[in-house]
Amino acid sequence: MARIGERDNGPIRVGVLFSETGVTSTIGHSQLQGTLLAIDEVNAAGGVDGREIVPVIRDAQSNPARYALLADLLISEEKVNVIFGCYMSSSRKAVLPVIEKWNKLLFYPTLYEGFEFSNNIIYTGAAPNQNSVQLAEFMTANFGGRVYLIGSNYIYPYESNRIMADLVSQRPGSKKLAERYVPLDAGMAHFDTIMQDIRLQRPDFIFSTVVGDSTASLYRSYAEAGFDPNAMPIASLTTSEAEISQMGWSVAAGHYTAAPYFQSIDSDSNRDCLARLRRRFGSECVPNLCWEAAYFQLHMFANAMRESGSDEIALIMPQLLGSEFEAPQGRVRIDPSNHHTCLYPRIGRAEATGQFKIVREARRPVHPDPYLVSHSLGDWTAKLPEQP
Amino acid sequence: MNAPIRHRTNRATLTQLKELRLLRVAVLHPDDADGRQLTQQLQRIGCQVQAFWPPVPTLPEGIDVVFLAVQPEICQLDFDWAKAENPPTCIAVVTYENPTIVDTVLRLGAKAVLPAPVRSFGLLSALVIARTLHSEIRDQARRIRKLEAKLNGARCIAEAKSILMRTHNVNELQAYDLIRDQAMSKRVTTEDIAAAIVNANEILSMGAQSRADRSGGFNEQKVV
Repeated sequence: MARIGERDNGPIRVGVLFSETGVTSTIGHSQLQGTLLAIDEVNAAGGVDGREIVPVIRDAQSNPARYALLADLLISEEKVNVIFGCYMSSSRKAVLPVIEKWNKLLFYPTLYEGFEFSNNIIYTGAAPNQNSVQLAEFMTANFGGRVYLIGSNYIYPYESNRIMADLVSQRPGSKKLAERYVPLDAGMAHFDTIMQDIRLQRPDFIFSTVVGDSTASLYRSYAEAGFDPNAMPIASLTTSEAEISQMGWSVAAGHYTAAPYFQSIDSDSNRDCLARLRRRFGSECVPNLCWEAAYFQLHMFANAMRESGSDEIALIMPQLLGSEFEAPQGRVRIDPSNHHTCLYPRIGRAEATGQFKIVREARRPVHPDPYLVSHSLGDWTAKLPEQP
Repeated sequence: MNAPIRHRTNRATLTQLKELRLLRVAVLHPDDADGRQLTQQLQRIGCQVQAFWPPVPTLPEGIDVVFLAVQPEICQLDFDWAKAENPPTCIAVVTYENPTIVDTVLRLGAKAVLPAPVRSFGLLSALVIARTLHSEIRDQARRIRKLEAKLNGARCIAEAKSILMRTHNVNELQAYDLIRDQAMSKRVTTEDIAAAIVNANEILSMGAQSRADRSGGFNEQKVV
């Protein structure tokens, strides 16, 4: 793809492919902001060896077929070598064959269910061993082992629920009371019968793998049913500050989420990053775990390209693998063997302020293990230290 | 107004998935891009991997799975491990699809085929399906052997009973009791006693002896 004779110090065009509209647009919008903030920072600091990064932004509208089409056009028409994008697994699976066909590079800033490796993808969100295990440990230890599983009807919830059920079953006296799925565009009416069932079954906690706009409907239905989060909280891997801002802070208060990043992380680098984000995009943006992954992966790309001098996969990949970066969550590293990222699992309880109070936090990064079938609950190395 | 809600209860993770991290895998493949892709993906899955090329005549102890590059130059080789009593699960990695290669794949008793160039995607499914097929076929073979033995035993008991009925003038129930009493006192199975009776009867009838002699011989043997 190198265009001979062209000077090396021209701008670097990169594809940016998130959903600014559709059911997952809230997260998609924040991932776009994270990407653009990092691009601004790189460019303000002189670009990549003097070369400016220019984003070519496309809106996939939460539609997997559109993701595939736009990825193809970004590569074939816009001549980008690298794409930053995708949220739901269905969108990544749609883009993967396109990326592999052209031998280009995709950065995927989202937690997902694991069991994937591509030579053409860098995964910067959490694998199940970096969020599910810690959440199961915390919830069963503090609330009990009778769990009610609710998810959106697609692959990520199926696999996450399998892992959660497997983990919870290792607790004596545990029971999976139900496993139920709602459409991706579910409204509050879809949760009516589920709430009635929950009233009858009285689980110790609810595990939600509902994603996108319907997350707000679930938590609102729960609040309307009059349940008490202190006694029977909802635990989630996907309910971030973004979803909380949609449902209303008071509705979210008392529920738990496991994630490598929360806005409330008490560090200078995080506070500074948030301040820069607010200066750039105003106070309306809602940074969250996927925003943070989108932010740091762009910086890791820029750093690797400073080493390789090229954004072609064959040249930049060796520089990316094993590279480290001081991200808002802590110092992260791309694992050379599986292309996933070493991250810091945390557990947060949503407060009435719209922020998470971090109640557990890993002191060391946890290695990604995307092909782990059977997670074990008793493993004390997976247990997160309590926060003062 | 509620859309269909799926209930997916009682899903348990299968043994073939749970055992993945315990598997000892031998990769008989050249040290090239495909060979590395294969071993690296097996390591990501969490298997314990050893790689050899050219194919070793005997495998290390305790190998559960063999990935074998079925290349034209190895078609003439004898793979003794594939014919062993309890062979490892074999998965063939193929670059060609012509009858010579397919014939070798069949001779090896491969339970799955992985096309080259090898991709990381598809390996886990092929591995799990091959392991499942392998253990099902082994269990079925074991069951068939057991059933065959049982069937032979039943046939033998029926024959022994009819010999006893003829020679001792007893009915079927009494004939069976005779066999069972013998089995209990000698601490062997009724099938063993029945086989001894059938054998003895064959030997004794070789000399074309009279029916009376034969029963006499038995009576003698039977006296406790």
